[in-house]
Amino acid sequence: MIKVLISLIGVLNLLGFGQNFFYRKNWLPESDASNPSSMSNQNLDPSIHKKHQAMLERLSNRHQARARSKESDSCPSFESTDSFLARFSELKQSITSELTQIEQTPESFTKADLDNVSAQVSELEKLVAENSYHLPSYEVRASLKTIADLKESLEKVALKLVPRKKFSFKGKASKPSQPVAAVEKVKNEKPDLVPSETRSFVLDTSGFRDRKGEVLVENLKGKDMGEFMLSDLVSCDVRLMGRSRAIFIHRLRNCKVYAGPALGSVLIDDVEDCVFVLASHQIRIHNAKRCDFYLRVRSRPIIEDSNCVRFAPYCLQYDGIEDDLRESRLDEETGNWENVDDFKWLRAVQSPNWSILPENERMSDFRISSADG
Amino acid sequence: MGLLSIIRKIKRKEKEMRILMVGLDNSGKTTIVLKINGEDTSVISPTLGFNIKTISYQKYTLNIWDVGGQKTIRAYWRNYFEQTDGLIWVVDSSDLRRLDDCRNELHNLLKEERLSGASLLIFANKQDIQGALSPSEIAKVLNLDAMDKTRHWKIVGCSAYTGEGLLEGFDWLVQDIASRIYVLD
Ligand SMILES: Nc1nc2c(ncn2[C@@H]2O[C@H](COP(=O)(O)OP(=O)(O)OP(=O)(O)O)[C@@H](O)[C@H]2O)c(=O)[nH]1
Ligand SMILES: [Mg+2]
Repeated sequence: MIKVLISLIGVLNLLGFGQNFFYRKNWLPESDASNPSSMSNQNLDPSIHKKHQAMLERLSNRHQARARSKESDSCPSFESTDSFLARFSELKQSITSELTQIEQTPESFTKADLDNVSAQVSELEKLVAENSYHLPSYEVRASLKTIADLKESLEKVALKLVPRKKFSFKGKASKPSQPVAAVEKVKNEKPDLVPSETRSFVLDTSGFRDRKGEVLVENLKGKDMGEFMLSDLVSCDVRLMGRSRAIFIHRLRNCKVYAGPALGSVLIDDVEDCVFVLASHQIRIHNAKRCDFYLRVRSRPIIEDSNCVRFAPYCLQYDGIEDDLRESRLDEETGNWENVDDFKWLRAVQSPNWSILPENERMSDFRISSADG
Repeated sequence: MGLLSIIRKIKRKEKEMRILMVGLDNSGKTTIVLKINGEDTSVISPTLGFNIKTISYQKYTLNIWDVGGQKTIRAYWRNYFEQTDGLIWVVDSSDLRRLDDCRNELHNLLKEERLSGASLLIFANKQDIQGALSPSEIAKVLNLDAMDKTRHWKIVGCSAYTGEGLLEGFDWLVQDIASRIYVLD
């Protein structure tokens, strides 16, 4: 279990920017902006040079202080309001004092200095983002207000420094925007609020519902890729070959579900005493009790309001499954089957609600075919 | 020129818009934001918290707050209401079972005083999935007609997979916000 925990934390730290602020422990930006050596230093005037030295030193001290606090920080930052406030005010102070200096002698600073301050402001913003979940909403609002104020001062200072050129914030993640190129013809220019004919909403969905004690087999190969729905099944054995865009699973008791890859997500709600063998880009599990999941998944599987659920790697075989997996970009074992996020247990220590299925209890490769029915 | 007038001028020049993006979990919010920003959408985990994206769109800078929609997280949505110029509500048009949930959460949100001035864009997402409801059907199920008459809103069918409809939606939202905020230009 300890090994699992360590690898879990490792993965948390690896999460990229833009994904899940909340869990990201390592929030320091990797950009050059926080790296003192990258600051501009071409100006040879001795007094300015001195100032730069001082600034470099300050930055380097802060950098080290951060590195230290990161090491000693065994709990993620989001668990303590105090540590958040301390870090917030430390960063804020350093930004303010740098701004003051720039404001007093704008001629001795360059645009790079400003960019650096701007990067720190973004950093501060991220810190708030990550911590917003445990913070009282007052603190969140107050912090956001502080950030807005800092941005305003920064712009004011920027105006002094580069009076002609417009200075603008660039979020670290913002690339020059490259919106989707082709806009196809849009269907509903003006939505018609009263459709002429009301169609029954469950009509188009394929799937199985309200069955008991049956073996249910479906081969999706060659059919239009759509969603597939399983609902209200008791003691059934479901074998689904081929690819789908999404799978919805609702109210299953004592069932076994073996399914080929889903391109989008598998959404599961209210299942008990079941076994699932699933491959998908996303897997979202709600209200599951005493279930085993054998998964291949590109992102991190999540559980919510669930307990006694166990996880193992995908183990399905049917004729043509390799092609199906490859075409769904699920041919590669990402190892994510064990990187489960429990929305009801947002801490670094292992959630008591799920575990890894011990190897000696796992079923081995399971083969299904169209003839099973 | 006094300080205040400088700041005001910068603010107008900056043209920043704050956009809050919410909706049930799995509706496709994160996928939409990444797609519109031209980023890779092939590995997205359910959002455990939120993401902020700053993108420039036409002559505006959009600060998009993409907040997770899992049940546990919905209680925190209200932390992000302040100063919202535009609200994007994303619907999974293929998730028929949860449309009631979807309607209730939306109408709860619209009761919120702090959001009363925000333009509302509803994305009827996942139109590429066979069996998805059309935007007009979604409008009906969500009872959009019952909304406060002063609200600026629009529903647009889209697919974060193909990109279809995304620009139409954002164009409308940005124009609608601009016409309210930057009247002086
Ligand atoms: N077919 C299809 N699938 C989509 C579309 N948009 C998103 N998806 C899929 O829907 C699933 C959920 O997408 P996300 O973007 O993670 O949803 P979200 O609204 O951010 O979810 P939360 O972060 O939990 O609130 C993913 O598996 C996406 O691939 C779409 O337009 N068409
Ligand atoms: Mg998301």
